[in-house]
Amino acid sequence: MSGRYLARQSAQAIFTIVMIVLLNFLLFRMMPGSPDRVNPRNPNVTVEQREAAKARWGLDKPLVPDQLVAFVVATAQGDLGYSMKYQGQPVVEVIGDRFWPTILLIGLAELIAIFVGLTLGAWTGWRRGGLVDRVGNGLSLILYSMPYFVIGMPLIIIFAAGLGWFPTSGMLTAGATYSGPLDFLGDLLAHLALPLATISLGLIGGYSILMRSSITETRNEDYIATARAKGLPDGKILRSHAIPNALLPAVTLIAINLGYVVGGAITAEIVFNWPGLGTLTVDALNSRDYPVLQGIFLFLGVSVVLANFVADIVYGYLDPRVRR
Amino acid sequence: MRAPVRTRFVRLLAAMGLAGALLAPSLAVPARAADTKLVLRVGTTQDLDSINPYQTLLVVGYEVFQLTYNLLVDFGPNLEPVPGFADSWERSADGTSWKFHIRSGMKWSDGQPATAQDACFSWGLALAAIKDEANIGAGYLDPNLKDAGVTKVECPDDQTMIASTTDASDRIFQVYLPIIPKHIWGKMDYKAIGEAKFEAPLVGTGPYTLAEWKTSEYARFVRNPNYWGTQGAADEVVIQFFKTDDTMVQALKAGEIDYARSPNADQLKALQGQPNIRTVVGSANGWTQLAFNEYGASDGKTIKDGGPSTKALLDPAFRDALGYAIDKKLLVERVLGGYGDVGTTVVPPVLGQWHVEPDHPRTFDIALAKQKLDAAGYKLDASGARLDKEGKAISLRLYYPDTDSTYAKAAQFVKDWYGQLGIKVTAQQFDSATLGNIVLPPEAGAEYKANYDIELWGWAGNPDPNALLQIFRCDAIGSSSDSQYCNPEYDKLYDEQTNAKTAAERKTILAQMQNMIYDQAVYDILYYDANLVAYRTDRFAGWQNQPLANGTPLFTYGTLDYTLLTDATAVASPTPAASAASEASATAAPTPAPGTTGGTGDNTALMVGILAAVLVAAGVILAMIFRRRSGGGTGEEE
Repeated sequence: MSGRYLARQSAQAIFTIVMIVLLNFLLFRMMPGSPDRVNPRNPNVTVEQREAAKARWGLDKPLVPDQLVAFVVATAQGDLGYSMKYQGQPVVEVIGDRFWPTILLIGLAELIAIFVGLTLGAWTGWRRGGLVDRVGNGLSLILYSMPYFVIGMPLIIIFAAGLGWFPTSGMLTAGATYSGPLDFLGDLLAHLALPLATISLGLIGGYSILMRSSITETRNEDYIATARAKGLPDGKILRSHAIPNALLPAVTLIAINLGYVVGGAITAEIVFNWPGLGTLTVDALNSRDYPVLQGIFLFLGVSVVLANFVADIVYGYLDPRVRR
Repeated sequence: MRAPVRTRFVRLLAAMGLAGALLAPSLAVPARAADTKLVLRVGTTQDLDSINPYQTLLVVGYEVFQLTYNLLVDFGPNLEPVPGFADSWERSADGTSWKFHIRSGMKWSDGQPATAQDACFSWGLALAAIKDEANIGAGYLDPNLKDAGVTKVECPDDQTMIASTTDASDRIFQVYLPIIPKHIWGKMDYKAIGEAKFEAPLVGTGPYTLAEWKTSEYARFVRNPNYWGTQGAADEVVIQFFKTDDTMVQALKAGEIDYARSPNADQLKALQGQPNIRTVVGSANGWTQLAFNEYGASDGKTIKDGGPSTKALLDPAFRDALGYAIDKKLLVERVLGGYGDVGTTVVPPVLGQWHVEPDHPRTFDIALAKQKLDAAGYKLDASGARLDKEGKAISLRLYYPDTDSTYAKAAQFVKDWYGQLGIKVTAQQFDSATLGNIVLPPEAGAEYKANYDIELWGWAGNPDPNALLQIFRCDAIGSSSDSQYCNPEYDKLYDEQTNAKTAAERKTILAQMQNMIYDQAVYDILYYDANLVAYRTDRFAGWQNQPLANGTPLFTYGTLDYTLLTDATAVASPTPAASAASEASATAAPTPAPGTTGGTGDNTALMVGILAAVLVAAGVILAMIFRRRSGGGTGEEE
């Protein structure tokens, strides 16, 4: 791989991140509403106090250039500021608290969905038109079109409130103390089961449908016909010839999806009260917590850019034609 | 070639099965039966914003500070004054001075003595702010002292606090100000404390003190070992914050929480009759209103590019006529699911002592409304549109916040009814912060324009009606007023009732004020909302409403209801031999290692560990696939 290719890709990535930083700042401030923590409906608060509160957060200065410059300078120094909603908790801390729960939930769900989805897609595509395909593809379409909360709520009603097998919500029993790591792990896994199932089910459809169409295409390729003519067994052709060639589009989808892992799955996190970045995003939006919103979107943007960057590099490695 | 692949696959399956088997036992205990503490779990959809009592804007924030700290005088089952930080009090002969006796031997939860000095310090902070014409923090608490007419506090000894008041009323009992420990906060002035970041664990004299706050997840309270009163059965109280009420209701059904605050009407109906669940419909101390923009009605002032869109809104006769077009019974039925009361005057009925019904009530009668509009000079034109006195078709902008779905529903009804009068209504929803700014007039700052006609929103009050009555004062324009109403006569009555010598005298003036606002149709109060609550009875008993007749348990004034809760299992089954035995053994086990694994550090490490394990597993699977590919591929492509 040439150094120029790498340099070009890096420059693009950096440019995109800079644009994200600027956009983050402006977009949220274009939303109506204010992070002004002092409620105008408080009968006791004077005009002076509301002004003082604004000044405290620097909201009294002009948006451009004062606020923008202050923001860019701070961000460049790695200072994401303080949450307005949570009375001055550092943004890095706020996001850090929510990072692992999301990675754990969405990351695991992605892995399961990739594995199951691709397998299901390969199988249904290979048996196109057969019973397996009709059932498998139908199921994929249904799952693909279902929002997480539609999958999640029945799971809660049946398996948590009804049968009592799993807890309804949260990541851990609130305020529990644990006698040891195993106790903790058990509690975590019990809480993880339903949201994990929900998100995996929701993601499987997309992977399966993509893989199915991809496999269907490769079925008609000459090299498959050749393999068949050689008398190779069917399963062998699928595994050694069809799947490896059909995987390329899936790599793109996986790369993009992995970039979004840190965005969380907002509706699923909300239904299950999962303390992840998705719920944090909604909370921050509702309270116009600009610093936290900027932090989340910067983080999300950088992750997506990086994931795509890596995908580009991997592609360049896999396919010499794109390196030019 | 097939055989090895198969066996490898089988081996993988076996490994996964083994892993599953290892996980299975831990999965089998979702209820965490190992916890031997009796934990009261309370669910709410409010997300705690701050544990600084002077900063919080939410009911849940009040719950946090009143569990942790005491008020000087607490609220009883019917909101009557009962001992709090002070255990007794007496009034001076002229009635303008109060001597509070602070209970002797009282200690803070950290063991330090709690004395009158703490009370003087806490009230002194508020007095200092009042003197500076400023507020502590968000400014919700300290004005209580001003409302009560408190001018000075003195603490001649550790057991006595003397408070002087401007008049002989007993509003001092309504002061909602937590007593915070001087030995912790004593070095700060009110400005610093208003801005201070309070950190758990908090030190207080309340029945439970905040031990841990996990933002947007839960707040955990432990029993205060030094609490002076009788304590409730719960060893710990955990208030859990839910993102949706659906999940909260499911958690209540599953028995994961003991109490759900404010499920919606449909959910409450579905919960009725469920085993071990009881539902309560209490009257809220507040209302939902139509606030008409009356800017300039008293002084003829106008706002460039703002203010009401028609002068008709400034005319009491016009607003009065509109009042006949609202079917409030139907609103309560359709918008609140039947849970709530028809609205009339500005003191909610839950404050039974002060509430009066209007002398001249309006009833729902569209024909009469039309007749009154005609009589007041607002005629219909040929197209059926109602004209104002300037000859312009009246078209009203009705704005409401997005905080509750009931507002949007009510707005649609109002739009329809006003439409029948020939008045066009454009209904629009805003987030509450934006709406709060829209209704502000230039008095709040040059950028504000009070650019609206009707605001559909609500207010919630204190045990004392002053908080709600204040909204209609002239000096509220620019802050809390959302009607821009100004009437010096009303202000005079307000001051008079504040200084009234007796309750009867005060009530007479309050009745006058309520009728004045009603007759002039400053507001059209649509309904008094209901507080909906559901709780479980299988773990805790002794739930008590406040007020007894029409209130709810928890999230009320004071924390009496927490201390009344008893262990339902202990009451219900006197000799639960088996469970008692297993409980006893369970208690014995964890004592040697209290393992405070609650810390985030350990959890993070573990989660990273799990993730690493999963990644390694994924890597192994991928490696196997690739090896198979390269190994098998070369063999066959020859």
